[in-house]
Amino acid sequence: MDPNALCFGGDFPATGLPCHVEVIPAGITVRFGDESSDTKDGAEAVPFDQLSLSAGGLNHDQLVVRYGSEADARVLYVNNPAVIHALRAAAPNVATGDLEAAASMVRRKRHTQRLSWIAAGMLILSLGLVLWFGSDLAVNLAVDRIPVEWERQLGETAYRDFLGRHTVVKEGPAVDAVQEMTRRLTDQIPGDPYRFEVSVVRSDAVNAFALPGGYVVVFTGLLRKAESGEEVAGVLSHEFNHVLQRHGLERVVKQVGLMTVLSILFGDQQGLIGLTKQISGELLTLKFGRAQETEADLTGLQLLRRAKIDSSGLVRFFERMAEQQHEPIEMLSTHPMSAARVERLNAEAKALPKQTVEPFTFDWNRVQGSLDVSR
Amino acid sequence: MKSEILYPGAFPMVRVELSAGETIKAESGAMVASSPTIDVESKMEGGFLGALSRKFLTGEKFFFQTLRASRGPGEVLLAPTVPGEIVVMELDGVNEYLVQKDGFLAGAETVKIDSQMQSLGRGLLGGEGFFILKLSGKGTLILNSFGAIHRIDLKPGQEYIVDNSHLVAWSATTSYNVERAAAGWVASFTSGEGFVCRFQGPGVVYIQSRNPGGFGHWIRQFIPVSE
Repeated sequence: MDPNALCFGGDFPATGLPCHVEVIPAGITVRFGDESSDTKDGAEAVPFDQLSLSAGGLNHDQLVVRYGSEADARVLYVNNPAVIHALRAAAPNVATGDLEAAASMVRRKRHTQRLSWIAAGMLILSLGLVLWFGSDLAVNLAVDRIPVEWERQLGETAYRDFLGRHTVVKEGPAVDAVQEMTRRLTDQIPGDPYRFEVSVVRSDAVNAFALPGGYVVVFTGLLRKAESGEEVAGVLSHEFNHVLQRHGLERVVKQVGLMTVLSILFGDQQGLIGLTKQISGELLTLKFGRAQETEADLTGLQLLRRAKIDSSGLVRFFERMAEQQHEPIEMLSTHPMSAARVERLNAEAKALPKQTVEPFTFDWNRVQGSLDVSR
Repeated sequence: MKSEILYPGAFPMVRVELSAGETIKAESGAMVASSPTIDVESKMEGGFLGALSRKFLTGEKFFFQTLRASRGPGEVLLAPTVPGEIVVMELDGVNEYLVQKDGFLAGAETVKIDSQMQSLGRGLLGGEGFFILKLSGKGTLILNSFGAIHRIDLKPGQEYIVDNSHLVAWSATTSYNVERAAAGWVASFTSGEGFVCRFQGPGVVYIQSRNPGGFGHWIRQFIPVSE
């Protein structure tokens, strides 16, 4: 006779007294074996009408059978499937009514448990999807929270560092011309939080770049390559708009990772300052994304028109760059040109109403000539 | 199989005497010393998938070691990794115990070990993780704890509240719900208890007098941080 249930109650041990439960036509018998102190004959018969059935245990996987008077109450815990089955088959409806109610309660509980697991799984999945697709949104939110002052510090570190390592053209017609373009453009930026600073750096590279905070560098190579002041102004307008749209900052935040983004969102902006040094070196090699280039193209075009600068200069310059795609021109490495990009810019320019143009005061040939002389 | 706890207290060890041919399953790495008649075998309890699920789901070790007295009787000395008491109990074939993942030290060959998934609420908040071990069958079972082991006896319907992460093992006849320690959310966390488990008898609950997570948290402040 192997025990198949545990009996609790009275002065039985807390772990329960192992017992053998058997289902008989009139009820059940409980046999405690030899060591039982309570029952003399070792077997106890309980009719069905004295039993109360329910479910219990951690996962409600045990059948709980209660019987006996208040003072001498016994509780049986049965998890032996054969006994449970026999009880269900033999017991009259009065007793099994409770049992069926208990069983359906267990089923309901298991069902809710399964549902909650499924819900949790779906929650985790959707959270993953949100993180995956919503990271741009998170980046933008984080970027919005970074004060312009920090952006300026970030850019300035890299800017001063770069200028220190290169020859800056301090004066002359080229600098005057670039200053005039800058003035014309920045005058048209309402509520400009940036103080744009443009330096002309001596280099054969046909390029220009903008650092966060409004620090822009134009290489003499680009001035030489440009056929008019309007072309240079077009490139400047494009670069200024990278700054205004905080594209550099977006790239930085993307590079340093989502954790930083989150910590900025949740207020730990100190962390970013620590990264400044590390990032400022990387800023110079920063590449903008295709969407950012397009945005800067289009907003650059609008800025040119507000400044009454012939916007076909920008289009023309990019057009020429696109044609020379296969030549090793540095501008192309950081500003990948494509026929499609030029086409879109062209279409955008054509869609705008005809603009009134105010020419620059400088003579472009003289500006270019000055570059050769001072060399 | 006879077992005896040596050096009871914080750094105990258990000596298990095996008669010829007898085996004992122990947590991987639990063996300290043994007679030369004992062979150590590694076994994936419940087959490869069972072992895999136990490893990834409960965080228990992938392999259990099986110590077999294949060349005559002998003894093995077993010890857990963490400082804390050891308790030896006899499973009678009817009593079943649920054990948090680090609580199992060793058991007779006839003791059955299963992983069991907890409900979401218990898994998240109960402090034992989503999976626990269910030990059933007949034979000697050896559990270990972090700190001292304390046994709580519960009569039918009797309730007791245990801070989560102090649980070691509890009978399958008990049930528990996870609830906040204090009436309010803020008070629950500022009181340092967070969530607690409300147990309901009948059955026994084994708790450990120290909280491994709390100890880890405390000791972290003394670990030098390399720049």
